[in-house]
Amino acid sequence: MKNLKTVLSTMFLAMLSLLIVACSNSASNTTTESTVATENKETIAQKKTFTVGFDAEYPPYGFVDDDGTYKGFDLDLAKEFCSRAGYEFKPQPIDWDSKDLELNQGNIDCIWNGFTVTGRENDYTWTFPYVDNSIVLVVRSDSGITKKADLAGKIVMGQAGSSAITALEEEENAELVKSFKSLEQCADYNSGFMNLESGMIDCLAVDIGVAKFHLNNANGKYVQLDEKLSSEQYAIGFKKGNTALRDEVEKVVTEMWKDGTFMNIANNYSDYSLSDMVCLGDYIK
Amino acid sequence: MNNIVDIIFRVLNGAGASSIIFFSTIIFSLPLGLLITFAKMSKIKVISYFASFLISILRGTPLMLQLFMWYYGPYYLFHVSFGLKWRLPAIIIGFSINYAAYFAEIFRSGIESIPVGQYEASSVLGYTNVQTFTKIIFPQMVKRVIPPVTNEIITLVKDTSLAFAITYTEMFTVAKQIAASKTTIIPLLVAGIFYYIFNDIVAFVMSKIEKSFNYYK
Repeated sequence: MKNLKTVLSTMFLAMLSLLIVACSNSASNTTTESTVATENKETIAQKKTFTVGFDAEYPPYGFVDDDGTYKGFDLDLAKEFCSRAGYEFKPQPIDWDSKDLELNQGNIDCIWNGFTVTGRENDYTWTFPYVDNSIVLVVRSDSGITKKADLAGKIVMGQAGSSAITALEEEENAELVKSFKSLEQCADYNSGFMNLESGMIDCLAVDIGVAKFHLNNANGKYVQLDEKLSSEQYAIGFKKGNTALRDEVEKVVTEMWKDGTFMNIANNYSDYSLSDMVCLGDYIK
Repeated sequence: MNNIVDIIFRVLNGAGASSIIFFSTIIFSLPLGLLITFAKMSKIKVISYFASFLISILRGTPLMLQLFMWYYGPYYLFHVSFGLKWRLPAIIIGFSINYAAYFAEIFRSGIESIPVGQYEASSVLGYTNVQTFTKIIFPQMVKRVIPPVTNEIITLVKDTSLAFAITYTEMFTVAKQIAASKTTIIPLLVAGIFYYIFNDIVAFVMSKIEKSFNYYK
């Protein structure tokens, strides 16, 4: 009787798992319907429109809100720029792969959408970077570790499933990771910092926004290495040579920064800890 | 298919880490639990109250918090750092002491369920207190506490996943990590099946033990 029960329950469990696997497979196969609105065929020739090219599937920078409108940190900024500079704001979702084509044909005036400068420095005319999405290495200030090479034989930790761990698993970092004594994972960054503080580990790999937050609150207990694990800054990209429009945007965005509007907009996206990632302050005198 | 085999092997690796916690906790917590039982049943009031207090703390606070205490306590309370090698000892101490508190109460219920007439009978037969306990009371107590102890042990198997709170990578954490990196829920299912099989084995072994203690019938 006991045996029969065990067999039956095992079978039930096996069937259940099969069912779930089948469901998850079919779900991933169905093509996601495009939520992007119908493309606007009008040309941009009309004066005083400012067309922002963006990827509508890149929250919080640009995405489709529950009510079907385009929303996002970058779009809010662009909208504010337009109202100040007297442009008509036009968000234009683009296929990210054909962004160069769109920009060069003049279909869009700029790409303002969490656009990574790093590695593309010479391909576009850039504004100053306004968001820093780098991953940095934090150590105790008394540890004597000042560069990546010092991490040889040390214990390094990152949050499980975070971009820091993803970065460490990349090919280019294989050599570095090999030099560690071990690479540990923590459930959340708070426990990561507790491990660092109490000397369980030597170094924590963490998003720059989180690092900034902890460094500001720790009274010099930690330092951030100058060498970053990965470096990524976002700026607004214009067609190469279009410095006139770039300068105008920079001027207005600087004003927005100075009167606090910029940070107010960033604070609307605090769920994404955007406000800690804003690095514009470093570039405006 | 290769993928699934790979997942199973990686989760199985994590199962090793979970087993270390499981077996160490069983080995240390059962005798420790009996010790706490004696303390609680002691005629010396101070010891008895202390044992009651200990049990109330251990059962009244989350195990996760107790793990934090053992792991981070030495540094944050005394500024002593043992480094990462302290992690496994901290986990085993935390789990063992916590489970000992539960076992202590189970053992006490077992001991107190033995009718007072048996004590009288053994005293009439000239048994000393120690003999009464080891020869008469203890064997009957063991028999009676096996079902509730089995309950606790099965809970322990599942509780091992709490160890990740202090960054110890056990089976469930491994499964979650693979699930995150491969964006599939299969590792979680695999982990679930492993827990189930493990607990089935535990239940089977315990029922065998229960049968083998089927004396006095």
